[in-house]
Amino acid sequence: MVSPRTWRNLRRELRGSALAKIGIVLVLAIILVAVFAPFLAPYDPYQQDLGNSQVPPLGFSTTENETRSEMVNGSIEVVEEEVTVNATLAHPLGTDALGRDMLSRTIYGARTSLLVGVFGTMLAVLIGVTVGLTAGYYGGRVDDGLMRMSDIMLAFPSLVLAIALIGLFGGVTIRIPDPFVVLGLAPEMPPNIVLPGTVVLVVALVNWVWFARVARGEALSLRNEEYVKAARALGASDGSIVARHILPNSITPILVLATIQVAAIILLESSLSYLGFSGANLSWGLDIAQGRDYLASAWWIASIPGVAIVFAVIGVNLVGDWLRDALDPGIEGEGGV
Amino acid sequence: MSFARFIIKRSLQGIFVVWGVVTVVFLLRFSTPGDPITFIAPLDASPELRQRIAEELGLNQPLYVQYFDYLTGLLTGDMGYSYISGTEAATRIFARVPATVELAVAATVVAIVISIPLGVISATRRHEPADYAATTFSLAGISTPNFWLGIMLVLVFAVQLNFLPTSRRPVGIVQAVEVLVLSGNYAGIVLWLQHITLPAITLGTYFTALVTRLTRSGMLDELGKSYVDAARAKGLPETLVRYKHALRNTLIPVITVLGLQLGTLIGGAVITEAVFAWPGLGTLVINSINTRDWPLIQGCLIVIGSSFVFVNIAVDALYAYVNPQVVYD
Amino acid sequence: MDEILRVRDLKTRFFTEEGQVNAVESVSFDVRDGEIFGIVGESGSGKSVTALSVIDLIESPGRVTGGEVWYRNADLADEFREKRSEAVDGDFVDLRRLPKGVRRSLRGPSFSMVFQDPMSSLNPSITVGEQIAEAVEVQRRARANPRSTRSRTQGYGLGKYLVDSIVPGREYTSTESKERAIELLEQVGIPDPEARAEEYPHQFSGGMLQRAMIAQALAGEPDILVADEPTTALDVTIQAQILNLLRDLQREQDMSIIMITHDLGVIARMCDRVGVMYAGQIVERGTLGDIFENPVHPYTEGLLGSIPDLEDPSPRLSPIEGNVPSLLDSEMGGRCYFADRCPNAMEACLNSIPEYDTDSGEVVGDGANAEAVHTARCVLATREFDAAEALGDDYFGDRAEASDPETPDDAAEQEVVSDA
Ligand code: SF4
Repeated sequence: MVSPRTWRNLRRELRGSALAKIGIVLVLAIILVAVFAPFLAPYDPYQQDLGNSQVPPLGFSTTENETRSEMVNGSIEVVEEEVTVNATLAHPLGTDALGRDMLSRTIYGARTSLLVGVFGTMLAVLIGVTVGLTAGYYGGRVDDGLMRMSDIMLAFPSLVLAIALIGLFGGVTIRIPDPFVVLGLAPEMPPNIVLPGTVVLVVALVNWVWFARVARGEALSLRNEEYVKAARALGASDGSIVARHILPNSITPILVLATIQVAAIILLESSLSYLGFSGANLSWGLDIAQGRDYLASAWWIASIPGVAIVFAVIGVNLVGDWLRDALDPGIEGEGGV
Repeated sequence: MSFARFIIKRSLQGIFVVWGVVTVVFLLRFSTPGDPITFIAPLDASPELRQRIAEELGLNQPLYVQYFDYLTGLLTGDMGYSYISGTEAATRIFARVPATVELAVAATVVAIVISIPLGVISATRRHEPADYAATTFSLAGISTPNFWLGIMLVLVFAVQLNFLPTSRRPVGIVQAVEVLVLSGNYAGIVLWLQHITLPAITLGTYFTALVTRLTRSGMLDELGKSYVDAARAKGLPETLVRYKHALRNTLIPVITVLGLQLGTLIGGAVITEAVFAWPGLGTLVINSINTRDWPLIQGCLIVIGSSFVFVNIAVDALYAYVNPQVVYD
Repeated sequence: MDEILRVRDLKTRFFTEEGQVNAVESVSFDVRDGEIFGIVGESGSGKSVTALSVIDLIESPGRVTGGEVWYRNADLADEFREKRSEAVDGDFVDLRRLPKGVRRSLRGPSFSMVFQDPMSSLNPSITVGEQIAEAVEVQRRARANPRSTRSRTQGYGLGKYLVDSIVPGREYTSTESKERAIELLEQVGIPDPEARAEEYPHQFSGGMLQRAMIAQALAGEPDILVADEPTTALDVTIQAQILNLLRDLQREQDMSIIMITHDLGVIARMCDRVGVMYAGQIVERGTLGDIFENPVHPYTEGLLGSIPDLEDPSPRLSPIEGNVPSLLDSEMGGRCYFADRCPNAMEACLNSIPEYDTDSGEVVGDGANAEAVHTARCVLATREFDAAEALGDDYFGDRAEASDPETPDDAAEQEVVSDA
């Protein structure tokens, strides 16, 4: 499946490319942060502290107008007063409008992004590869039908389709117990990981087409190879031919495409959360949406999660570039005329 | 097969796809949970009232009758009436189209004007500061969620610098130009420019970055080919070698990729509109989904889907036109 | 016959991630009026790079780092005699010391080039006629204003190109140039040239396309035509036609040709004089007779020994055991580069070897003996092989091992040419 030659190409490409190294470091960092979030986050990301809202990140103290009622000469007056809000080490990235710790929310946000990115892509690969291999292997009517279907799918911009599906079916979330908390290793932290199930399903539904096209192309070109014909002549079943001869050869382009799609899906998830369609209550996109209303007084609420998204996506994209350059699957511009 | 026949064939395929889009959208409504009448009727409506509403909207007819009615309606440009406001859906939808088209075209123009020269410069000055700057920009550009970019632009240019407005579209380009032509007053154009700048940058950045990347890598490929050496060997000046010979072949695959990315452009427009309260199809589709206003949802999806299909055919035609090697299949 | 080109001590380096590659190492040769000078060698020996260096087409990460390229052109010599006296010697100018713009302006009317693979050497998305017309147009504009290199580019920036591509009927090439292009196509033996000029490269066969390529190279009526493996990509039957065409055109136009090939058959059939390249150096040069009948360098002998039959239409170099060295600066010691494959390697070969005149046994270079006709970079030009001094068979044994076993792909690129 992964030949020594492939490994050699990967290693050689990595040696020559600083960008590939940065990408791997970023991706590993995000994975570690997501997995060990309960240990890394200083607070429960949901924990509100209204007395400590809109605390700026370290190095950025701000002033704020505060209104207070005061007894002056026996009558109550409203006094407006400028107070300085100091950054504090307790909240290195500050707090949001409800006093929740930005650092903890950003760390936990990595989980949502990564879970949706990985599960969404896996589901898309599963659907897409099944459809694509079937279409390419059987050809003819089956192929025509499946490909017309994919044309129709492609006619909906993925974000629009995703919004429509989630908006109409509602956002279902799945609660997965956090193993670290269950084991009592991080008792303070939220007990469940909230996986936005509809989002995973929908991003897979809007992205499977790309995998279908690549898998179909590979199957089409491989099904007339001599060894495939020979296997068929020997009476191998279609299923085993696809599994033994065609699937292994399609793995490289699908792997590269999958990496690129993880980045696209992370972006899609954040867009859906931003628009309030995901149903998740802890996501970078959602925090940006909430920060939108406080741009004038607390710019960091919207800014920090965005930086996290950019780093995550850059990391995945760099890894994708690395794989593409090293494995050269030739999928850029795939599926044209 | 000739070019004309190719176009006709693609258009017929396109119509088929649009029909598929209509059907899918129509079926979507019947597979979603919740009775639309709940959203239309007042909460305390009597069963009789509900019944009447259903009859009026044809919701009590069998599925295939409703489907057929809807199809025939579409052919005459009738998309039904908004459940919420009672206005004609088609009118509402097409009133929103100019705003979205304006935004998309502005973003595309910005993207093309910036990205192609940037890609060429980056490729021809490989490993120089200009190249590193362009590569970094394009990597960041394709990795930044555009809604966040929009918000950051608002933060910097509107909130901090107080330099550009944060949202809305007080005037369309058509009116602005009309005013300019009729009265010589350019205030409308200025206003339009002020309002479209941030949304256009927001939407255009991803494409600028993407096309820069594609142009750079394509140019690097092409500049390494021997026809480039041959062009230099026959004495052609470098501008011609680059822009006439290499760029031409670079742009052929770029066109294909752009066609494939149209969906991203439209999706990006939806979310950009949401960020800037831009009154286009995107905000309309989001609002209608939130209120379950089916005729509007269906209409918007059909308009978006079919324009996507036909713009794609135009892209294919352009591709066939610039690439003499195309085989019409 | 007079020389039209004198190349002296030319050095070209590539600065790659693996290190500095000495692709051309102190190459000297002359090309005379109306002759065909052949450069023969395995792929990776630096023969194409030599040609590209002469006509200044080396691209980053490569650079010509030393040497002189003297080109005979009385007009240029007069023009620069005052301005840059160091670049002028009699009627000759040293191209390397002329401004870049002037060098570029020589492409077309002085030098032009035919490439190996015609399919990839013509732009796939521009008609063949238009591409040839371009070449004509460049020269026409240059003649209209001979001393200005600006004249060709003037008013022809990106902006004008964009306008031209959008506004129909505005084109770079004039009608005259297009007519001339059709004439050129006819001259190289393309039937129905008017119709074919309107076609795109993919509508041509390989042989026809190579003819078109030659037509394009002739557009500026060059003094020197560089033909880089002009027949390698073609069918055997077509190869002979193209060679005949080149030969005929060379006689008609009285130009000189630098013929680069790995094919000794082509050399034997076409060339007056020959340089044999190995590892970036010309290891032996002389007349066709010197090289074929009286070779001195063991590498040349090896090449010749591998030709089974001169009548065979396509004799190939046979593999001599071992590979062309990597040419990495760090791995090139001060010794004969062929020593690790040479059957006659002796201790004396472990010094760097200059070019010797094979008649006198004296060193050629620095003006001394520059007129030598038959030279070789081999100690055998000065003395006999002495078995007592021979290096043992495994003297270079571990060196071969050390040559980066991790990157077989690189080695494959420098394949021994038996089946190129
Ligand atoms: S110099 Fe020595 S090693 Fe080199 S070719 Fe001559 S005899 Fe062989």
